[in-house]
Amino acid sequence: MSISTSPPPPVVKAASAVSTESTRNEPPIIVFQKVTKVYANGQAAIKEASFTVRPRDFVFVVGASGAGKSTVIRLLIREERATQGHVLVEGQDLARLKHRHLPRLRRKMGIVFQDFKLLPSLTVEQNVAFAIQVTDPGRPHLKEKVGEALYIVGLEDKLNAYPTELSGGEQQRVAIARALVHRPRIFLADEPTGNLDPDAGWGIVQLLQQINHRGATVVMATHNREVVDLCRRRVLAIEDGRIVRDEAEGAYLRDGDAIL
Amino acid sequence: MNPIPALKFVGRVALQNILRNRGIAFASILTITLTLLGAGVAVVVVHALDGVLHTEESQASVLKVFMADHVGFASEVNLEKNLGRAATVASSTFENKDQAAQQAGSSLGLTQAIKLLEHSGAGNPLPASLNFHLRNIKAVSQLNREVRTSALLDTGPHPTDYNADVVPRLERYIFVAQLGGGLVVGVVGAVALVIITISVRTAAYVRRREIEIMKLVGATDWFVRWPFVLEGVIVGVISALVASVILLGVGLGFGGGQGLALGVGVNFAVLTVLALIVAGGALGSIGSFVGVRRSLAT
Repeated sequence: MSISTSPPPPVVKAASAVSTESTRNEPPIIVFQKVTKVYANGQAAIKEASFTVRPRDFVFVVGASGAGKSTVIRLLIREERATQGHVLVEGQDLARLKHRHLPRLRRKMGIVFQDFKLLPSLTVEQNVAFAIQVTDPGRPHLKEKVGEALYIVGLEDKLNAYPTELSGGEQQRVAIARALVHRPRIFLADEPTGNLDPDAGWGIVQLLQQINHRGATVVMATHNREVVDLCRRRVLAIEDGRIVRDEAEGAYLRDGDAIL
Repeated sequence: MNPIPALKFVGRVALQNILRNRGIAFASILTITLTLLGAGVAVVVVHALDGVLHTEESQASVLKVFMADHVGFASEVNLEKNLGRAATVASSTFENKDQAAQQAGSSLGLTQAIKLLEHSGAGNPLPASLNFHLRNIKAVSQLNREVRTSALLDTGPHPTDYNADVVPRLERYIFVAQLGGGLVVGVVGAVALVIITISVRTAAYVRRREIEIMKLVGATDWFVRWPFVLEGVIVGVISALVASVILLGVGLGFGGGQGLALGVGVNFAVLTVLALIVAGGALGSIGSFVGVRRSLAT
């Protein structure tokens, strides 16, 4: 697989680097403290993982399929609970979070997945508006907010299209727009380029970098080696559920590692 | 959160869901209509049976106390007052000897025999009596035991009279009718509840992606659950209305142009329709509430 488009514009990297510097003194927005997750079938997906993410960081969580990347995302949105250890988001221990407060946590986060999770019976505009309608249907200027989110992802001219009429990359952009309407402080992406061709995938990563540049913390689980290597952002590598590498401007593989 | 747009949204989604899943909604309405129809028929039949039994019961709930010939008017009034104070006594009437003779003559065909006795100088052989109408058939035997101790009663072999064998029989019938009716309504209701729960669970499964997205973007359980609950209520109420129309149509058909069959009055018919609507709505909402619960687990 190769990337045919050019790397992200330098301004993004520079701004991001500055923001990383400026957040050194801020408390971490995400904390994993010796987190272990064992599923009901006895499989340990995460083993004593510890790391922190500061506000406005951009972090790639990399590893082979089944390494535990998606589990990290699922623990962050409290779709799963840690078997041991603590997961903290904005200082809130998710193990202690009551079920009724879960919606509030998830509204702070924008979440996108490999399979887009769009509703095929709704138009692009309706899919994005759906996120507001089911959380705050009385919110004023709904149309403007939806338009703004679609403008950010570059789909303001596809308001009335249905997901099936869009390419994979465009569908993922709709999913990103839907995740943006709550103006999340944390943006989680689980293999967002997994179903896309290299060009579309690179476009999505650029978009996530822009979102990061606008002030959101981005955690992206991926096994897309090219985009990780091109971006040179912080890399958390997971192998068999363990964090084996945490590099500030890392690559997909450590020097000398074989390509799997 | 502003409740008006929230309610509007919930109502719109519920109606959209019904229209979008017409097949499931139709199947739910059909099965719930049938079960409510069964419940309605059971209620009407039990009501009609209950009416017949209560007529019988009121006729059998009379204790006749025969007075001795020597008892004066004041003593009779006193006894009537004393026994009439009991909470179980609804009313009482006094029947003098002439009225007793008249009654025996007309109902038993003994007019000639009584006249013969009077002409022979023996006088009217029938005693005067106090007739107590009791509220509950079960109280008759109790009052009978109490009154038997009075010295004012006729000294003949039967100083009191009531339909002793009818009382326990009627009690049994009433008990069986009420228990049977209750069981039918209970079983039919439980079946309807299970059907609604399964249909909502199916609908929730069909819409699992929508539910998943709602939860991911931060919708509260309330927002996920209430369109389903409202959908259940709408389906339940539509089913109840269909069942009511069928029930009333059949009732009028069998009524032979003289109102509803089985002597069902307008008031009871209206109450039954209202009860079916409430039951349909309740079954729909409870079934939906339970049906969607699994989808809200995470």
